[in-house]
Amino acid sequence: PGQVCVNVAEHWKRLLLALSVMVRYAQTAAAPAPEPRIKKFQIYRWDPDSAGDKPRMQTYEIDLNTCGPMVLDALIKIKNEMDPTLTFRRSCREGICGSCAMNINGGNTLACLNKIDTNTSKPTKIYPLPHMYVVKDLVPDMSNFYAQYKSIEPYLKKKDGTQEGKEQYFQSVEDRQKLDGLYECILCACCSTSCPSYWWNGDKYLGPAVLMQAYRWMIDSRDEFTEERLSKLQDPFSLYRCHTIMNCTKTCPKGLNPGKAIAEIKKMMATYKEKKAAAT
Amino acid sequence: MALLLRTLARQGVSVTRPQYSVLYRHAAPMGTTAKEEMNKFWSKNARLNRPMSPHLTIYKWSVPMMMSVTHRGTGVGLSGAISAFALAALVLPGNYPYYLDLIHSLSIGPFLIGLAKFGITFPVSYHTYNGIRHLWWDIGKGFKIPEVYRTGYTVIGLSIITSIALAAI
Repeated sequence: PGQVCVNVAEHWKRLLLALSVMVRYAQTAAAPAPEPRIKKFQIYRWDPDSAGDKPRMQTYEIDLNTCGPMVLDALIKIKNEMDPTLTFRRSCREGICGSCAMNINGGNTLACLNKIDTNTSKPTKIYPLPHMYVVKDLVPDMSNFYAQYKSIEPYLKKKDGTQEGKEQYFQSVEDRQKLDGLYECILCACCSTSCPSYWWNGDKYLGPAVLMQAYRWMIDSRDEFTEERLSKLQDPFSLYRCHTIMNCTKTCPKGLNPGKAIAEIKKMMATYKEKKAAAT
Repeated sequence: MALLLRTLARQGVSVTRPQYSVLYRHAAPMGTTAKEEMNKFWSKNARLNRPMSPHLTIYKWSVPMMMSVTHRGTGVGLSGAISAFALAALVLPGNYPYYLDLIHSLSIGPFLIGLAKFGITFPVSYHTYNGIRHLWWDIGKGFKIPEVYRTGYTVIGLSIITSIALAAI
């Protein structure tokens, strides 16, 4: 009887399995195939390896039903399935590395944080960051931007080097709070390359991203080189090419406010010499 | 023996510095200054003849951006106009009432006169109000994007009203 019992149980199990499979087939058959949502992506292309190549726009068509929600998903899909020569930077896909900064539909942003506009009647246009030398396709040469960042000495500086590493530099809660909204910058260069002043004077004007980091170290309570940092900007270009156009703050994918930081530097520039004179 | 070798090897590393760096000659140089890196950037890009990515032609215009360029335009226009006016007063043979009468005698319709007046009063009032907006920014206020738009629309509204009122006089 034990044997029979097992067999009966096995029989029922199989029957149920068969039924569920049938039901699943019936369901898929009943559901109409989803209407393909074909979206056009027009992407800037330039290849350094084919001599005499001129920059051009190439159109790719993607069914949004089979694509992730973000522009970076579409770019990866194109590279994986349609055109492996398409070149762009990407890494974290969650807005913390800053690699996939590019100009999407006229505004600078991170492709990984930018939702694809699901209106399929309009193409999505993708360019590299504006007014930058193009290495290939969507990859700009960032070396000048990084060198400018290096030039502001973005690290803690102390007058007395002998005490270095002996103990922690304490900071009050209030002083630490002053750095909020500044230290979160990921240096994606969306703001700097959105700034017309930076377009025209990128060789001498530091641009919003670098200036905001300069400000971040100026107001750090532990840093002792505020005056020196300020006096380094005392020329017509480094800082004062900012005309408060505010493209920087409008475009920042992290919601930071470089425009405000630059204004605060300008305020400090107006008074730091008097303060120094009063102190001595 | 092992200890001796290790000591020698460690000394070799610390003493024969040039040799040490030979091993790393393909690594990126660490000692470049920002200035050197910038110079390299410009010469390299010029040599490779890389294209400049598009900027003004593809960037999406916004109201604050448009207002900024208008502020620059009205500023240049006004200082140019004032200089031209001063220069004209200096070199033209007739005096001011003479040219005023000349314009009157042309009997241009009131619409065209009004339009010409508006063409002068709008840049004046816009540049003045937006200048106050800039002063507000200079004391570090109004930098949130909604505030930038609110003050911007206020400036546009006020300058239209003021310039029409002035032109109607």
